[in-house]
Amino acid sequence: MGVRIAGAVVLAVGIGLFVQALTGANGSGASYAPLLITGMWVVVATLYLVKHSGPLQVRWRTPLLLLGVLVAYAVVLKYTVVGYVLATFVFFVVAARLMSTKPHWIRDLSVAIGLSLGIYLVFTKLLGISLPAGVLPI
Amino acid sequence: MSDLLGGFADVLTVQNLLYAAIGVTIGTLVGVLPGIGPALTIALLLPVALKLDDPTGTLIMFAGIYAGGMYGGSTTSILLNTPGESASVATSIEGYQMALRGRARAALATAAIGSFVAGTLSTILLTFVANPMAKLAVTFRASDYFALSVLAMVAVTALVGSSLIRGLMSLTFGLFLGLIGIDSLTGQARFTFGVPSLLDGVDIVVVIVGLFAIGETLYIASRLRELPSQVAPLSKQGMTRDDWRRSWKPWLRGTALGFPFGALPSGGAELPTFLSYLNEKRLSKRKEEWGKGAIEGVAGPEAANNASFSGVLVPLLTLGIPTSATAAVMLAAFNYFDLSPGPQLFEKSSALVWALIASLFIGNIMLLTLNLPMIRVWVKVLQIPRPVLYSGILVFATLGVYAVSGNIIDVLIAYAIGIIAMFMRHLEFPVAPVILGVILGPMMETQFRRAMLLADNDLSVFVTRPLTLTLLLLAVAAIGLPHLPKLFKRNRLALGEDD
Repeated sequence: MGVRIAGAVVLAVGIGLFVQALTGANGSGASYAPLLITGMWVVVATLYLVKHSGPLQVRWRTPLLLLGVLVAYAVVLKYTVVGYVLATFVFFVVAARLMSTKPHWIRDLSVAIGLSLGIYLVFTKLLGISLPAGVLPI
Repeated sequence: MSDLLGGFADVLTVQNLLYAAIGVTIGTLVGVLPGIGPALTIALLLPVALKLDDPTGTLIMFAGIYAGGMYGGSTTSILLNTPGESASVATSIEGYQMALRGRARAALATAAIGSFVAGTLSTILLTFVANPMAKLAVTFRASDYFALSVLAMVAVTALVGSSLIRGLMSLTFGLFLGLIGIDSLTGQARFTFGVPSLLDGVDIVVVIVGLFAIGETLYIASRLRELPSQVAPLSKQGMTRDDWRRSWKPWLRGTALGFPFGALPSGGAELPTFLSYLNEKRLSKRKEEWGKGAIEGVAGPEAANNASFSGVLVPLLTLGIPTSATAAVMLAAFNYFDLSPGPQLFEKSSALVWALIASLFIGNIMLLTLNLPMIRVWVKVLQIPRPVLYSGILVFATLGVYAVSGNIIDVLIAYAIGIIAMFMRHLEFPVAPVILGVILGPMMETQFRRAMLLADNDLSVFVTRPLTLTLLLLAVAAIGLPHLPKLFKRNRLALGEDD
């Protein structure tokens, strides 16, 4: 069942993109590739939908939570004054905890400190790639 | 030959040797990590490489990463039975069995020495093939390049992965990603959905980080509690005299398979490693040992794996056509330095090319001297707890994208591609065709339109020129190729995927 749903979603997206390619087509040389590729998408997705079925076993909770933490991490990096080191430290600890069955605070906290500080120092001091400094006085 | 000697002269500086050493070390280190291949490593190191602003040194380092990554992959598949990339799957079948029977060191040694032998021999072949091939490539026209990119894409799609439909779907997704952005010939925006930062297109680094790093981590997280992994113990004894006697022929035969298959658009190392495995099994006089740790089953595929790397460089350097995921990333690296691989590269930047080729020889020696003594370090790396490893990968993935662009939209696109990649892995879609689609799609379109322009919009240009027609017919044949033997089918995995 799960595979069918996935196939249907892929097909629906393909049809949407094909329609967009059709409405955007203006006869210039740039119009053909989008039509061809999205058309191929629709055909292949239809074949997939017809020929493949079965269950899809995914544990949703951890990847969804991870994704949420990732997006939060990116937003904090870009739009707040928290800074790279602090944001990375918190992100690492939370991500590692999400993926572990039981807490390993000492291990995760120490790796998080080393990793976030290490990356920041190597990138900003050694390589000259700027990362948000943030509130920490480093 | 004088070209190559000049290359050696360029590489044998302290700085470039250092780059080569860093490359093979990082490559092996990352190759050992389960689930990370050389493609992702190079993609993540691109921002750092851009800062170094030393094209020769950087490409030398990347070649080292590629070679080291392949070697590290074999260590993981022998000791842990979780091949980090599809090219190591064949090695893991007999290699892990050897390790379980207390012959881990012998398996690792035959892999390392075989890689060295194959790497050196195939680089010699590359030396001889590269120049004539580049001269031939000068005569290629737009229609030939179009046909060649079609062939490369179709072959990888048909030969890699578990089903043609899935492969084609992956390819289509990649081609679509390649469409996004401003069309280079007309300036028309395509599929940008009103997002300004999409006008420049989706960067290959973003695609690779999403597919491999984010996708892999989310996939692991979605099946986290089913991960039993036991590192096989290291034995004391290395290769015996008997092991040597049984290994050297498979090394040579593996090289003979690996180089040509790498050079042909057939998806890199996956096909030759399996062919080598099947071939050695067929030729073996001790059939009863197979499945219980036959050393030929490690020696042959590992040699084929390494030899195919030099093979992959032939179309990449002389034609600018990547035939594997990692080659596609290397092409992106070339582009970042405003170097375009192809016949002109040999004329304009011949010193760089030969330095790169010379560095392969040196990298092979480094790999051999580095790996056997450092095997205990690699075993430690294998024992990094998974939550720490994958959280670290997410940090580096975000950093890699953010440092390249400083653009949060790119980071979010990488995450989105990561979700798609997670589903692709659950549904067994191969990943490699996506990357080739992103890279080869725009190339193919440009060459097609250039050919049409030159031929006054006459489609017959694709069937009247013999070379173009031959390449297109080969592409059709690749799709129709009957599926290979049973074992092949059972073990076929896509590039960069493991279980």
